[in-house]
Amino acid sequence: MRAVAASGVTGETRTGYALVAPAFAMLVLVLGLPALSAVLQSFNLVMSRTPGFSLASYERLVTDPEFRQTIANTVVYVSGVVAIHLALGLSVALLLNADIRGKWFFRVVALLPWTVPDVIGGIIWRFMFDALPGMVNAVVIRGGLADAPVDWLGDPQLAFAALVLAEGWRGYPFIMLILLAGLQSIPRTLYEAAAMDGARAWQSFLYVTLPNLKNMFIIALVLDVIWECRLFGMVFGMTAGGPGNATQVLSVMTYRQYFEFFNTSYASAAAVVLAVFMLAISIPYLRMSMRVTA
Amino acid sequence: MKPHFQSMRGLRAVSLAALAATSLSVGTAAQAAPVTLTYSDWHLAEPVWNRSLREAFAEFERLNPDIKVNPEAVALGQRDVRYSTALRAGRGPDVFSLDVNPVKQFIQQGWVMDLSRFVEREGGGKWLADFYPRTLEVVGDGKRTYGIPKTLVPMVLYYNSNMLKEAGIAQPPRTWTEFRDDARKLTKASKPGGPIDQWGTTIVMAPAGFDLRFSVILRGFGGDMLTPDNKHSALNTPVAKEAFNFVLDMILVDKTMTPGISQVDAHGARQHLATRRVGMAFESAWAHPIIADLNPALDAWNVLKISPVPQKEGAKGGIRSTLHLKSLFINPKTANPEAAWKLVKFLTDPERMQRWYVDNNLLSARKSVNATFDRIQKNANARLMAQELEYAAFMPLIPEWPEINEAFRQNLQAAVAGTKSREQALGDAHSQIEAILARAAR
Repeated sequence: MRAVAASGVTGETRTGYALVAPAFAMLVLVLGLPALSAVLQSFNLVMSRTPGFSLASYERLVTDPEFRQTIANTVVYVSGVVAIHLALGLSVALLLNADIRGKWFFRVVALLPWTVPDVIGGIIWRFMFDALPGMVNAVVIRGGLADAPVDWLGDPQLAFAALVLAEGWRGYPFIMLILLAGLQSIPRTLYEAAAMDGARAWQSFLYVTLPNLKNMFIIALVLDVIWECRLFGMVFGMTAGGPGNATQVLSVMTYRQYFEFFNTSYASAAAVVLAVFMLAISIPYLRMSMRVTA
Repeated sequence: MKPHFQSMRGLRAVSLAALAATSLSVGTAAQAAPVTLTYSDWHLAEPVWNRSLREAFAEFERLNPDIKVNPEAVALGQRDVRYSTALRAGRGPDVFSLDVNPVKQFIQQGWVMDLSRFVEREGGGKWLADFYPRTLEVVGDGKRTYGIPKTLVPMVLYYNSNMLKEAGIAQPPRTWTEFRDDARKLTKASKPGGPIDQWGTTIVMAPAGFDLRFSVILRGFGGDMLTPDNKHSALNTPVAKEAFNFVLDMILVDKTMTPGISQVDAHGARQHLATRRVGMAFESAWAHPIIADLNPALDAWNVLKISPVPQKEGAKGGIRSTLHLKSLFINPKTANPEAAWKLVKFLTDPERMQRWYVDNNLLSARKSVNATFDRIQKNANARLMAQELEYAAFMPLIPEWPEINEAFRQNLQAAVAGTKSREQALGDAHSQIEAILARAAR
């Protein structure tokens, strides 16, 4: 029989809290305090030459056209990248789930882009898309597709497309892994039953695979949106937000305002907005995880 | 009890002796242990500078056996962020170098040590008198001195004399009209029938080094980014508009600047010069040794020549270029301020200044070195550089400058990319700079 204290808390519960406490303290230290500091800075309460509560940074966010463009860029960038990740991740997961020889080798190869740090990935792709003497232009010109170097990263649309493509390549293995795990958890009997009912391959995919992947799909989607919203290295390494600020996303803007111009309050306000946005889109994921845990 | 007392006294004596011996040995160890200073510099990433600086450190360590120098390279593009982040956390290198751009920010934020007490000890104003007064304005606030100026050079026009000759250009351009015409002549295919692979010029449009290059065009036209009191944007003047359109015409209409111009950084511009992709570029004295190292086959020391920044027809004198100053600073949190000062003093003494010229082709921030060192006096390029110091000025010495510069750069890029019309881009740059200055004034 468990020892129950007067407060109703069991000894086992206390042990549980004690075991969790170090991790909780660490989280408070490395996440809670910086987050609190960012909120305080956004209201000009700390790290300011003239501290005092002010909403000026939030007012500036509302009126700043650069911030509006950056939000729009972030939405388009995240949508494009996540769409590529889901399409590519699902396609490769389906291929790797099939009974093929050397499956493990292909799985390792498919994972390779995920092993490239995002900043390094950005720099590699920048060199590849460099007008002079980038590899992409060398192929395009030698292949007769253009007679002069294409300014991939100097044209806003091309730069955006190149960026989405590059990050699409680098980040899809994460989605692929989640979906592959989902595919492997679908009982084979369902496919066998479908086959016995005369279902064709595409019908099995539509009526067996997709419904069973729904939860994994949502988890992958939410995690990827969160991940891409805060992605910094690829964008900074590849275009640094240019040309102009055509490819500037929220994380890059925050970095520049904080570390390059020392506008700490304004940068913190932008970071708080980003955090609130990510928290909002995390809710479906959190609810789903809690349902699974329950 | 007596034996016990005696033994206590004996014990005390032994203890005292042991304590004394320990103290002595600790003292000796403290004296013998060398102080290690970290020195950070973006030039350590350049092979020529790296060699030169390491030789200087070896000499410094020979003269000061109790001090060791640990060099740390930093990429120019990441320099300010790395330093500011580390210094804010109470860490960072003991001694580091900065160009003009971030100095006022660093002073404002308290990230550089007030060196006034060291300067006073050396003789105060008398000791500083050898430095160009303009350089002291950069590293001080009128009362205190936060850094010691090291090298000082103006931006000039670098040109490949062979390429100009091949294009039938007899002498380097003196006016902007000539510059534009020469750029057209230089833009061509190096092989008959082949694609264009040689351009007139290039300009740095990546953040690091942008202001040094664009500002010479603006100033060469007689304009500037800010009004003389640094309180307002000067981009609404006709000359600023003329300079802005001039650059855009060369990029978009003439196509005489290298493709992918938005991505060209300072190193990329020098690579274009080194590989004969461009015939002209705005650079300064550092370019000769770096390009010679990048492509020894070019024979950079003989082929690359320099000329003053072009001006508008009929213009005489006046500011037409921008100064680049490299200065040394000490971390306010350094554990070894005396040793750090010794290093700063050593790296900026007249003998070292001569070495920076011999190794790196850079003029000194000390007047006496430029005026008396025979190798500077006998070299035509160095004499021209020294002469151009008179016609060059620093970028605005205000903490807001990096943000102002970036606002302008982004709008210029937007105009090049076509996302804004020329008028809108220049107008937006003007109003954004006004907003930045207004915020700073509040």
